[in-house]
Amino acid sequence: MLLRLDTTDTRPLHEQVAAAIRRAIAEGECRAGDRLPAARDLSSALDINVNTVLRGLRELRDEGLLEFRRGRGITVAEGAARRSGLQIRVRELVAEASRLGYSRTDLIDMIRGLA
Amino acid sequence: MTGKDLGSTPHGRAARRWAIGSTATVTAVIAGLPWAAHDRLPGRLATHWGGGDTPDGSMPLWAASLFPAGVWLLVALAVSVRWRRSWPAVRPWRAVALAPTGAVLVGAQVSVVRANLDHADWHEARQPALGAVLLVALAAVAGVTAWRLTTRPTAAPAGTAPTLELPEGERLVWFSRTANPWLRLLAAVTGLIAAAALVALAAGLAGGAGLWPVCAVCAVTSLAGAAFSSVQAKVSEAGLEVSFGPLGWPARRWAPAAIESAHAERRLPSQVGGWGYRLSGLGTTVMLRAGDCLVIRPRGRRADFAVSVDDAERGAALLNALRTRRTG
Repeated sequence: MLLRLDTTDTRPLHEQVAAAIRRAIAEGECRAGDRLPAARDLSSALDINVNTVLRGLRELRDEGLLEFRRGRGITVAEGAARRSGLQIRVRELVAEASRLGYSRTDLIDMIRGLA
Repeated sequence: MTGKDLGSTPHGRAARRWAIGSTATVTAVIAGLPWAAHDRLPGRLATHWGGGDTPDGSMPLWAASLFPAGVWLLVALAVSVRWRRSWPAVRPWRAVALAPTGAVLVGAQVSVVRANLDHADWHEARQPALGAVLLVALAAVAGVTAWRLTTRPTAAPAGTAPTLELPEGERLVWFSRTANPWLRLLAAVTGLIAAAALVALAAGLAGGAGLWPVCAVCAVTSLAGAAFSSVQAKVSEAGLEVSFGPLGWPARRWAPAAIESAHAERRLPSQVGGWGYRLSGLGTTVMLRAGDCLVIRPRGRRADFAVSVDDAERGAALLNALRTRRTG
């Protein structure tokens, strides 16, 4: 799998790690059931502290994209490809809304207001 | 003494002619030596020394001439026949096998003739001092020379090396891994046998003499099988890292500057001599399954390093891109 990390990104590093893996899952770089490289390998390859990498991975687990399994390492969850694509667009939407001065609550209200 | 598979190219024809020529020359030397000196040799030649100073085996002149020549021809024939169609890549092994064999046979023939020279009876022939040691050294030198001369496999990969765009402000890393479930099974089974043998030894259930070797062999097989049952390849700005087994150890690393070129290639276990960590005419191959391999040529080396991983094409492309960015 090919991971792309945006070095001009100003977000916190753990979010960048999560974004890179989310993108890789959405683009089909790794499929459901595939094993992710070990956190320390990701850490050394991306030149990012291993705890930061783990924090990013835990975020993705909470989003339902990854599964942590004892003895099998970290695997891509079932249906993660569809979900990660949606996740990326939701994040873009939130970022765009905040740029235009709308809060998340405004955004939720807008979505609720959709017929 | 390179491949028959090259037979269609002019270079291949020359190599073939050289192979046949050198085989014939060695045959002539082995067979002809006793005849060349036959007026100074006894009727029967001492041909075998059982460890002491006095010979314990002899042959008539014709046998002493034809027997080693026959052995040589048989070996040459055996390694020259193409047993399987998928074997062309193993060809350089022929030279590596034949050079020491030829060296030993010629060396042995020279020492036999020399030992028998100017003796009336074969019983008087004495073994040349350090003869065996010299022969082994000769064989080693011949083998290494043949290896150095023949390992220049596929100088440049066909076509251009793959590469990809490295966007400014993006850090790209590539991961791939392969596992071989059969090697893992082998490791598990031999590990169990080793453990069982150890328990039996500790409990005094069986004689130590027979069980220790079993235990040791199984333990070593199990550890080697476990270490080489899976492989991870990682390409980052630090270069290529290939690590083995669940612990990621042992590992091999190359910086981008230490790599001359990278490409992807389809390889089969039959081409490199089996599964696992193989040394062959194609260089070093970490072969866990047939198919896509990431192949690199380390700078200043004659042989390639290859590892069987999925998606090797993009790994090679990224490696080439990192390499040219560093130098360019």
